[in-house]
Amino acid sequence: MADEKKPRALATMAAAKIPKMTRANLAATVRAKQEGKKVAYAFIVCAVDEIMRAMDIVPAWGESFSGICAAKRDAEKYLQRAEAENFSRSLCTYATCNLGFDMWREELNGEMPPDVPWGGVGRPDMVLGSGQQLCDPRYKWPQATQHYLRDVPVFVGGMYYPPWDPTLDYKEQEAFYVKYNTEELHACVRFCEKVTGKKMDWDRLAEIVDLTDRTINLFIETYELRKTLPCPMDTGDAMNTMVPISFMLGTQECYDFYRELNDELRQKIAEKEGVVEDEKYRLLWGAGLPSWFALGDFQYFNSKGAVFPVETTYRCTEALDRLDLPKTNDPLEHIAWRWVRYWTHWYDKAKQRPGSMPEVERLIEYIEDYKCDGVVFHSAFSCRSWHAGIMLQAEVLKRVYRDIPVLIMEGDIVDISSYNEADTHNRIDAFIEVLEAGKNRA
Amino acid sequence: MANTDGMALVDKYYSDYGSRARELKASGSKVLGYLTALGPVEIITAAGAVPLRLKGNVSEPITRADAHMETIACPFIRNVFDSTLKGHFNYLDGMVMPHQCDSTDKTANVWAYNLELPYWHFLNVPHLTDDPSVDFFTSVLGLFKGSLEKFMGREITDEDLARAVEAHNENRRVMRELYSLRRFVPPLISGVEMMKVLVAAMSLPVDESTNLIKGVIKDVQGRAANSETTSGPRVMIIGDQIDDTAVAEIIEGAGARLVMDHISLGSKMYWPDVDATADPLVGIAERYLRKVKVPTTFVASGDTYEENLEARFGHIREFITEFKVDAAILFVYKYCDPYGFEVPAVKGFIESTGVPVLYLEDEYSTSTLGRVKTRIEAFLEMIG
Ligand code: SF4
Ligand code: SF4
Repeated sequence: MADEKKPRALATMAAAKIPKMTRANLAATVRAKQEGKKVAYAFIVCAVDEIMRAMDIVPAWGESFSGICAAKRDAEKYLQRAEAENFSRSLCTYATCNLGFDMWREELNGEMPPDVPWGGVGRPDMVLGSGQQLCDPRYKWPQATQHYLRDVPVFVGGMYYPPWDPTLDYKEQEAFYVKYNTEELHACVRFCEKVTGKKMDWDRLAEIVDLTDRTINLFIETYELRKTLPCPMDTGDAMNTMVPISFMLGTQECYDFYRELNDELRQKIAEKEGVVEDEKYRLLWGAGLPSWFALGDFQYFNSKGAVFPVETTYRCTEALDRLDLPKTNDPLEHIAWRWVRYWTHWYDKAKQRPGSMPEVERLIEYIEDYKCDGVVFHSAFSCRSWHAGIMLQAEVLKRVYRDIPVLIMEGDIVDISSYNEADTHNRIDAFIEVLEAGKNRA
Repeated sequence: MANTDGMALVDKYYSDYGSRARELKASGSKVLGYLTALGPVEIITAAGAVPLRLKGNVSEPITRADAHMETIACPFIRNVFDSTLKGHFNYLDGMVMPHQCDSTDKTANVWAYNLELPYWHFLNVPHLTDDPSVDFFTSVLGLFKGSLEKFMGREITDEDLARAVEAHNENRRVMRELYSLRRFVPPLISGVEMMKVLVAAMSLPVDESTNLIKGVIKDVQGRAANSETTSGPRVMIIGDQIDDTAVAEIIEGAGARLVMDHISLGSKMYWPDVDATADPLVGIAERYLRKVKVPTTFVASGDTYEENLEARFGHIREFITEFKVDAAILFVYKYCDPYGFEVPAVKGFIESTGVPVLYLEDEYSTSTLGRVKTRIEAFLEMIG
């Protein structure tokens, strides 16, 4: 029997709506066949959201399903199936959880495995992966999926950005990166046209891209309201409110969600309503996906008077006026520029501070803008993508900025076996003491 | 099998890894370290630098790396980083880190910031093989060439590149010739010896490496006349950078013969050549993306999944036939997503040829070898 945990209490009404939206996203994948729509297995931060939306492809997000299984502490049965097929426990558990589920559904000839969380995921008509710096599972996971869903075609496109190197001029590289990414996005469109049997409606795509741009701007504007003291919404909620920007980009519903959240936060600010009553410490969630099965830990922080007004996680976008995007008539080229500049737009700052690096500039920017007293990172053992390099970020931050208190927590996103609540709380307590000592010194 | 001159030199370079590069450095050469089968050796050679593929030491525990690099990174990468931090490669002028996988990409800054080498370059190798990817990678290689020219203070001409391409192709041809002597029953060179040759060869400038291999061929060919007639099961090993004789010793100690490999310092590297192209960088880009068979390149070809498997692993079946392989060992490092995610596919493919497969997930360390030994021995006993 899965050990279900009471979900974290949410600070905003908007965040409380997320489970329903997530359920609806999943249900759409199950319903799609009857509605004559195609389903694509998709992965966040792959830049093909708008293409899918413009072609009425229903995305079935791998990370979303695994996150739900983990939050319900019901992933183990899928992880074990994957392990029995020789997928190591050290691999990305988002992927192995989904693969275990896929194997099971195939064994049942497409029927949902029993007691599947929230109705499960519909069988895909295609898989849209991506080759990029972010992560290996983004192309290996689709390939592994195909081993079990042999008839399902897979597309993997390249989405790269100039890597950080203070000795090189990244601006000189941007053009060939954008050209490549644009070509790959066009290849993705051709692939989707083939699978769906429909032509891309380029005007519709342009509208969706425009809607996405506006959504991104609104999203950042909304999140920046969290700079206020006391903080009206923290990372605990953001791990919910990331759902529309991560899984529903390019839809009106996504835009409307942030409009509502924006209104709600403004209201809270007007009423000076904070996440915690007596806000003592403001923390930056510096990197790392959360332990979905232990979101209650945010509340534990809150109980100590600590809030997280800002996080880097699931904020894979930036207000467009800060990216200075070149004009283009090709919506796909626009997506490519937006992608490349999102990654490179901290490079200039990093160059100006000797010994710094872009990830650290981002931390410094957030620490200053959101008046943070400390930084918390989470290192999840099964995902190298976001979690290798955290120690360096912490080290460089202290070296080039100041000796700010840092906590690196260790755990996983889905696999609960390495988690110990008492230990985690002890580490948080010790960190709070460090913060307190820092405050007293100041 | 007694050591002769070629093998004696191999032993020397194997046991004191990098000693030749150190000597060359002392006499004024620049030494550039690189990681993985995707290190663009042709360009390093064309620049007049000594390319040195970095390896760790499986017998040495990690003592310094853990303070700077997460333990969730690939154990091989952590071990090499540890060796480098400890100063085992303190003669390096610089390093090239190809984007092979998350463990290389996500730790690249950790290397760059902690080692503070005079030259550092992250080579952004894409994971795909289509035409735009080859164009893109050609630009990435061009960028690397430009930055290396600046560091070396000299131009790398197309002629330099063409010459280097030829030299590396020759090196690969000669190594394949040595491999062909493993087809004999029993093979003329043992798996342990071959492992030493592969390691020694990647520590030398290309022409010296070629001469070394030629010397080994000469030694080994002489064995044909008095070779025994009986032989244990013929094993092939598959994995990434296995650069120590420990596993080969276990296999051969159990009475089997290690006759072929598909590892990243072996056949993965020595089978594919660079085609001569008008712009030499295009040929180089094509080799690394389309010909080097590593799981970090996504192969899309094939109308059906079975055709796709054929495109990805068909060459392994050819190796099985050519080298008369009876059993395969798939040796994957913990935390390696690229290899890890294709274990069921590659295992199934090989088994479909009638060859049994032992899959092992392990560390890059002799500390866990006891377990590995038990599993390998049980496997070999089972296949009899
Ligand atoms: S980013 Fe991490 S968790 Fe997400 S798919 Fe990649 S490896 Fe898995
Ligand atoms: S073994 Fe795997 S994780 Fe390690 S360097 Fe090779 S491909 Fe990367």
